[in-house]
Amino acid sequence: MPKNPSNLKNIDRLIHEPTRLMIITQLYVVESADFLFLQHQLQMTPGNLSSHLSKLEEAGYVEIVKEFVERKPHTALKLTKKGRSAFKEYQQNLKQVFSALPK
Amino acid sequence: MKETNLKEVEKKTYMSYHQDGLIDILVGIYVLMFGSGILFLTLTDFSTLFVVIPAIFPAIMIPVWISAKKRITMPRIGYVKFRSRGAYRLMAVFLGLMVFGLGTFMAFTFASSQGWALTLRNLVVLNGMIIIGVAAATISSLFAYTMGLKRLYAYGLLTLVLFLIGHFITIPFGYFLVTIGLVIIITGFVLLMRFIRKYPITQGDKKNAEKSL
Repeated sequence: MPKNPSNLKNIDRLIHEPTRLMIITQLYVVESADFLFLQHQLQMTPGNLSSHLSKLEEAGYVEIVKEFVERKPHTALKLTKKGRSAFKEYQQNLKQVFSALPK
Repeated sequence: MKETNLKEVEKKTYMSYHQDGLIDILVGIYVLMFGSGILFLTLTDFSTLFVVIPAIFPAIMIPVWISAKKRITMPRIGYVKFRSRGAYRLMAVFLGLMVFGLGTFMAFTFASSQGWALTLRNLVVLNGMIIIGVAAATISSLFAYTMGLKRLYAYGLLTLVLFLIGHFITIPFGYFLVTIGLVIIITGFVLLMRFIRKYPITQGDKKNAEKSL
């Protein structure tokens, strides 16, 4: 157990879920990506990806931008400022938890 | 999560977007045309066209590449917009190459008046194949490192090996470029075929994905 177990309480459970963590990590390294790209990169079914994206969108971490590219509708997904800072905070909190563990 | 892991994810994303072989085909065609231009210029006197085409090729190459990406890559694996950091790194590589090119040009210009530069020019002319081979391998490696595309290291190594052979065997320079161009084009087509087979267009899945959002 960590010396300061309260650090675990700071871990964002919404991001901590493995599939959502994968989605956020993928969106963190790019400016935006569409649904198809995420689906291929993360090897996920459309339904599964869609349900996780909805949760992230509800939390304000992911923004779904509907736009027209060359007169064709295009849906781009991007991490919001809130999402980026939440991910950075998650990284720091996780580091703190592991650094508190006895070697 | 370590910063290096995020970089790996970024590189993997970049690589997956360039696994279609399109850039290889276009670069290969450019090298092939340049090589053929040099060869035809050696054999005949009226083949300026073969030198002019490679000169204007980059201007045509970029729109063709963008169009091919839209028609072949995006319907299969989707669209991704990369963050500007990668573009800045590429820009730095381009600027570095420009400075190197200008430096070389100035060295050759000085060669007409300065004794030391004349010696340098003679040295360059005598070891031209080695210098070009090393330069090409360095440029390929720089792009391979910046873009995370490992096959560019292989192209660089191939160029270096061929040009080192060329230093010792008297074969026209153009033949080496033609060989390199053909190898890159073939690799590009193999990658493209593999990409098309791996990611067939599934319109139904795409529509479902759009609807589900």
